[in-house]
Amino acid sequence: MGKGRPFLEIFTCALKEDYRFPILEIFAFFFALGTFVFADLGAYAQNGEALAYSLVRTLWGFPLFFIFVVLILKNVAYGLGSDLDKGVIQTLFSYPLKRRYILTAKLLSALGIALLLFLGIQIFGLFLLAPDVILTYSSTVFLTCAAHLCSPALLLAGLVLLLTLRLKRGGFALIIGVVLYLAFTIISPWAPSIAYATGSDLALKIWAVIDPNLALQRYYLGTIWFPSETWAPSFSEVLLYLGAGYLIVAALFIIGYVYFERRLGI
Amino acid sequence: MSLIRVDDIAKSYGKVIAVDGLSLRVEEGSIMGLIGPNGAGKTTTIKMILGLLKPERGFVRVFSEEPWDNPDIKSKIGVIYEKAHFPSHHKVLDYLERVCRIFGKPESRAREVLALTRLEDAHDRNIKALSAGMLQKFAIAHALINEPSLIIADEPTSNLDPESRSNLLDLILKLHRDDNVTFLISSHILPELSRVCESVAIINQGKVWASGSLTELSERLGAKTTRISTDNPEALGELIRKLEYVNRVEVDSRGVSVGVLAGEDERLYEDVPKLAKEAKAKIVGIETGTASLEELSRLAVKSGQGGGHRWEKAGPS
Repeated sequence: MGKGRPFLEIFTCALKEDYRFPILEIFAFFFALGTFVFADLGAYAQNGEALAYSLVRTLWGFPLFFIFVVLILKNVAYGLGSDLDKGVIQTLFSYPLKRRYILTAKLLSALGIALLLFLGIQIFGLFLLAPDVILTYSSTVFLTCAAHLCSPALLLAGLVLLLTLRLKRGGFALIIGVVLYLAFTIISPWAPSIAYATGSDLALKIWAVIDPNLALQRYYLGTIWFPSETWAPSFSEVLLYLGAGYLIVAALFIIGYVYFERRLGI
Repeated sequence: MSLIRVDDIAKSYGKVIAVDGLSLRVEEGSIMGLIGPNGAGKTTTIKMILGLLKPERGFVRVFSEEPWDNPDIKSKIGVIYEKAHFPSHHKVLDYLERVCRIFGKPESRAREVLALTRLEDAHDRNIKALSAGMLQKFAIAHALINEPSLIIADEPTSNLDPESRSNLLDLILKLHRDDNVTFLISSHILPELSRVCESVAIINQGKVWASGSLTELSERLGAKTTRISTDNPEALGELIRKLEYVNRVEVDSRGVSVGVLAGEDERLYEDVPKLAKEAKAKIVGIETGTASLEELSRLAVKSGQGGGHRWEKAGPS
C-alpha cells in the first residue's frame, strides 16, 4: 500500500479538526477586512521600492499579524499539544504511516493552510489597493513577506512546536507561545535603542539575524527613521540575514522532526 | 512462532521504575492475558510493544520486527487503548470509512465492524457525543477495521456494561476461533480474562512473576484449592490455619477454601475429618479444583514479594 493515501487522509482529517466552522470563515473575514482598514496609505509619501515595502509592512503589524499568530498558535500549540495530551497522536501512530509523515500532515494543516490563507488574502487585497506597486515591485513584496514570515511567524511556530512536543500539553504550550510572541514584540525595539546608546551597530546586526526584517527595513528605508545610527546593509547582506533567519527556523523544525521521529514517547 | 517477543526490557519515568527486566512471548494463535495490580507496568509494557515508547534496555519484536516507527507491521495489528481518543469532530461512520481508506480496505468494512460491535445505530453520531461505553465500542470497531491478525488490548472492557463485556468476550473467542486472531489482553478484571485467555502473565513491580496456562500456573504455584463445605466454617478454618503445609485459608458463611503446597492435597484429606471432629463441625462436602485467576495472581505476587522465586523463566517460550 502506498503512503500517499494514508497521508492525504490524515492531512484532511487534521484540516477538519483545525478549521472547523466557523474558524476559517472568521479569520478569512478579518484578514480581508483588515487589508483595507489597516493598509497605511501614508506609505504613498514614499516612492518605488520603499513604497512597496512600507505598504506590505503595515499589513504584518498589529492587529492582523496578531490574529495570524493566534491562528498558528491555536493550531500548533493547542491543536497538536492536545492531540499529544489526550492520545489522538497515539491513535494516529496505529496507522501504517511513518511518524514524519504524520507530523508533516499536521503541520501542513496547522501552518501551511494558515499561511496560505493569510498571504493569499493580503497579497490579493494589496493588489486591489495598489496593482501598479504590486506588479512593478513584486520582488520587494516577496522579500518583505519572506522576512516577516521568517520572524516572528515561523520562528515562533518552530519554538512553539519544540515546546509542544516536550510539554505534550496544549493549553500550557499555547500560553507560553503567546508569552513568547509578546516578549518578541517587547524586545524587538531594544536593538535600535541599544545601538543608539552604545554608538555601535552590533546590537542591530545580531537582532537582524533573528529578525531579518530589520535588515530589510534599513535597506529600503535607510536611516531616515534612525538618524543617529549608520548601519545600512547592502542588498546581498539583506539576503544573507534572510538566509540566516531561515537557517534558524529550519534548524528548529529539523530538531522538532528528529525528536518526533526518534525520541517522542507517548 | 512468537508474534510478540519481549526480552529483558526496562523503562523508568524519572526515579519511578515502571518496567524492570520483563520478558514475554505471545505465540501465534493464542490469547494471552497480562494481569497485575494498578501500576504494575502493564500499560508501559504494551506501549513498548506498540512502539509508542522505547525500552531503555532489552528488545521488543513484533512479527519479528522492531515496532518503533514501523508502518509495515501496523497493517497487521489492531489496538484497543484503555482511554481511546480520536479526532472528535467526525461522525462515527465517516471516521471509520476514513480509517478503511488509510488501511486500503473497502469502505463497506466500516459498516461491518459497526455491526460486529453493535454500534450501527450510532453511525451518524459525532464521536465527541458518544458516551464512555459507546466510545469504547467504537475503539473496538476501529481496531477491527484492518482485519488484524494480532490484537493488543489494554483494559478493553473498561467502561462497558455487563452485557457489552460479555459480547466483547464472545467476539474475542469468535475472532480467535474463526480467523485465528492472536490476542494480548491486559486487564485487572480477572474473571473475564479467565473466560477467554489460554495463558496469562502475572506482572507486578515491572516484572513477570509467573506465566503459563492456568493449569500450569496452578500446578507450579501449588495453587490448587480445596473447598470444604461445613456448618461451622469459623472453627474449622481456625484449626486448618495451623497446618504447616497450608498456604492460604479463606472462610465464608458456607465453608472454607484451602490452598495447600504442591503434592500435599492427600494430607489435607486425611487431616480434615480429625479437625472437623475437634471443631464440632459437620462436613457436607469436600472437593479440590484449579485455583481462580485472582488466587493465582495474589499468590504469585505474594511469593515474589516474600522473597520467593520468580517464575518468568519457567513460562512458555
